[in-house]
Amino acid sequence: MDSITDFSAPPMVEGIAHVVKIDGKSVWLEPEQGSSCGSCASASACGSKGIGTISSRLENRRFRIDNDANLSVGERVVFGIRENVLLKASITAYAIPLVALVLAGALAQWKFGSDLITMAATVTGLVIGLGISRMAAGHLHSKGDLAPLFLRRAKPGETCGS
Amino acid sequence: MKEYVLLMFTAALVNNVILGRFLGLCPTMGVTTRLDAAVGMGMATTFVMTIAAIAGWTVNTLLLTPFDLGYLRTITFILIIASTVQFTEMVVKKVSPELFKLLGIYLPLITTNCAVLGIALLLVADKMSFISSVLFALGSAMGFSLVLVIFAGLRERLAVMDVPRLFAGPPIAFIVVSLLALAFMGFSGMGAN
Repeated sequence: MDSITDFSAPPMVEGIAHVVKIDGKSVWLEPEQGSSCGSCASASACGSKGIGTISSRLENRRFRIDNDANLSVGERVVFGIRENVLLKASITAYAIPLVALVLAGALAQWKFGSDLITMAATVTGLVIGLGISRMAAGHLHSKGDLAPLFLRRAKPGETCGS
Repeated sequence: MKEYVLLMFTAALVNNVILGRFLGLCPTMGVTTRLDAAVGMGMATTFVMTIAAIAGWTVNTLLLTPFDLGYLRTITFILIIASTVQFTEMVVKKVSPELFKLLGIYLPLITTNCAVLGIALLLVADKMSFISSVLFALGSAMGFSLVLVIFAGLRERLAVMDVPRLFAGPPIAFIVVSLLALAFMGFSGMGAN
């Protein structure tokens, strides 16, 4: 066995990023490719990357943290997000619109019994759900729940899976 | 009402998309090493699968069937799924850039998930009504997520177990998933077929 999980540690999802820019008292970090894709032997031939290159996708996911640890450009760091935040984020982004969509569709089907009306109702439900989701995401953001935390400098050769 | 509940129950547990239909095995092995990744992937797949089912049913009913273009169904559905993933990515990014940064990594993986295409084709082949299609897709996706989460939980425990070197890694994971499939066989014969 290479590593032993420390169950006493706070439940935190860890990731690795490198510093790409220093902006006053904060730094911009770019996350490294996740283990699900990065360590796959077929990564170069796989269509999972979707439209756009990996680098453009990672650029989209850049985030900013306070530079309390005096980081410099090119340094690799370990950042963390609380586990329950990831669950809250998933529920906010996906579950709220889906529940609104299904409720609207079910109500329309029960009331009118027509496929076309049900279809229109599901689309309306989805739009309303996305609106609620946006408000919930704004609430989470204002509470600072979605912000990743700096944990430590990464050891040489350290990866998400190690 | 009872018919719809049975439809969802059957789709989620009896004919589970992973353990009953053997679709979506790539993410099952790929993203279940960590529970958080499994939850993120499961939720994203649930959303995309339901939206793709709605779009697929609509295009099939209003375009492919009336114009007798059934031979284009597979390629059309592949396009619909790819577009749905891109649409979801754009919407999540618009709704909250912070959420996109946390969850965006799982979305491109869904483009090549055969479970999404399989479910879209199945509901058309079964000539389901619109609401049945939505509930069938939602039930299937919930079953998919359930298996991902159970399997990820088991693999996190396996990581701290003393597994013989010969079985360490993927071999023991395959043995565990086959045992999970056997457990799900207990649902056989329940609900609607």
